[in-house]
Amino acid sequence: MPLEKSETGGGRPIVRCRSLSKRYKVGAVEVPALNGVDLDIAPGDFATLAGPSGSGKTTLLNLIGGLDRPTSGSVELDGQDLAELDKNRMAELRLSKIGFVFQAYNLVPVLSAAENIELILQLLGVAAGERRRRASAALAEVGLAGLEDRRPAFLSGGQQQRVAVARALVARPAIVLADEPTANLDSHTAEELVALMARLNRASKVTFLIAAHDPRVIARARRHIEMTDGVITADGRHEPVLAAG
Amino acid sequence: MAWRNLWRNRGRTAITLIVVAAGVYSILCLTALVEAWAQSSRQATLDWVIGSAQIHAPGFMDDPKLARRMAAPGPALRAALASPGVAGWSSRLRVPAAAQSEYRLLPVTLIGVDPAAEARVSIIARRIERGRFLGGPQSEGVVIGAHLAQRLKTDVGRRIILMSPDASGRLAERSFDVVGLFAGNLAAEDADVFTGIATTRAMLGAPGAVTEIALAVPNESRLPAVLAAVRSAAPALDVRSWRKLSPMADAIDSFMQAFVDIWLWIMFVLVGIGVVNTQLTAVRERTREFGLLQALGMRPRLIVAEVAMESALLIGLGVAIGMAASGLTIGALHAGVDLGGLARGAAFWGAGRVLHPSLAASQFVELALIVWALGVLVALWPAWRAARVSPVEVISHAT
Repeated sequence: MPLEKSETGGGRPIVRCRSLSKRYKVGAVEVPALNGVDLDIAPGDFATLAGPSGSGKTTLLNLIGGLDRPTSGSVELDGQDLAELDKNRMAELRLSKIGFVFQAYNLVPVLSAAENIELILQLLGVAAGERRRRASAALAEVGLAGLEDRRPAFLSGGQQQRVAVARALVARPAIVLADEPTANLDSHTAEELVALMARLNRASKVTFLIAAHDPRVIARARRHIEMTDGVITADGRHEPVLAAG
Repeated sequence: MAWRNLWRNRGRTAITLIVVAAGVYSILCLTALVEAWAQSSRQATLDWVIGSAQIHAPGFMDDPKLARRMAAPGPALRAALASPGVAGWSSRLRVPAAAQSEYRLLPVTLIGVDPAAEARVSIIARRIERGRFLGGPQSEGVVIGAHLAQRLKTDVGRRIILMSPDASGRLAERSFDVVGLFAGNLAAEDADVFTGIATTRAMLGAPGAVTEIALAVPNESRLPAVLAAVRSAAPALDVRSWRKLSPMADAIDSFMQAFVDIWLWIMFVLVGIGVVNTQLTAVRERTREFGLLQALGMRPRLIVAEVAMESALLIGLGVAIGMAASGLTIGALHAGVDLGGLARGAAFWGAGRVLHPSLAASQFVELALIVWALGVLVALWPAWRAARVSPVEVISHAT
């Protein structure tokens, strides 16, 4: 699959990283996780971030998502320099502009599927009736209509991850950051989930940046970024091998 | 979410509920019981002759002799003594005296009283062990303590001679029939001799004389206002509350209060430790969830509010259970806790045989609210810990 060099198309990128570095302290030793990464993600992208374990994929996602602070360099999200934000404003930015999908689903166990989705809307101050309506619509969008009142413990792994995707998308964020979303799923369920995310990307134009080893995910992506030892070693666009289903 | 989280770990929730409910139960029940003991002890002392307060001529308390007598209360003082809160008052002619039987001469305090007025201030008439109390202010019999009768080797129906300096300073003496023996207060039993006030005045040649006015104010909280009114009506007289008149009763009362306070603080600390311990465990178990909530955009102060809300609900529920259980217990015991075999020991400490535990509604609610507020306050620490969870450390796995 030939890769073309990636461009953001001239418009303002949704994510802009410059000279991004991150070092972790392990005891007295400093371990470099990212080394001067420059990266732009264009609005509407469906990009994958691949690389061996320890290559810095999750670290890069955490920095873009404002979950962690860089040692040096900068991250701009939708034009906002994250270094300027304190803890509370960072939380507000995550709430309004970023959707997260984690490897381990990470749903709140005491809340039903609909309530997990409503939680985001509640934090955004959306009225109760509107919350319920939008949560039901989001669940329907990911193929879980009728399971609104199920608690996570009564959903399969695939269903839980679909709820997580619905939760990530319900507030119409600027970007969805997904970290190994298919890692805990069987191949059939993983295939369905990837197809779902690709379809939602095309339908809603929400940007997706997905850290993944899974070739099924990479095959659906229009842009593929490779990382090794904390640096980007390849970054190119291609037509998805598999069409969004 | 807070309410549902309470039922995630039913065992831990149950333990916290038990800790809080048991703490509230023991705080409320023991407070009611100790206060009943203190009240009983205080009343047992005050109801004999002291009353809630007394009025004397200046100097009488230092040198209690007939020369330091006062006039019968005038209209202003009578009006003050009729103020709300005063259950009754009694004028007395109280002087030092000597009582002589065929066998012994012993120092006593001769107290001339009007039995009808005295009944509103003192329980002496209800503590007659043998014989009867005085019939009226002109009564010519005497009522003495059972222990004094023993020491004088006298009894009901026999005569004793009472001697005391009269108004002119000469020793007056008169013989009296012993008409009754009282018992129940060792100090009073040994010293106090009661007869009619008119008889005492006649014996001492002091018509209309009064050396002491005792008043009963059953509601302790009203005593300061009553004392202020009395002092204002009779500024030249010496007005003292029972605390000044009976330092022993005051000391026992203060000791009981200190005991209750120490007990309350121990219980508050224990409940606080219990709450912090269980809530910290709960926070530790949910570290990942708090990290997730922060990652999703929940601000740290909302996480503090969430955990504090859980604590408030949990502790509130425990407090409610403790209040209900203690309310039922205090209600059941209010009719009277008979100290039975402890009665002699209780009497030594001045307490009655039967205690009537009770707590004012305001105190009941106030103590429960303090436990709740303290519990919520100490639970802020686990809440603060929850808000400090780093989302990246609990959510992500480095790749």
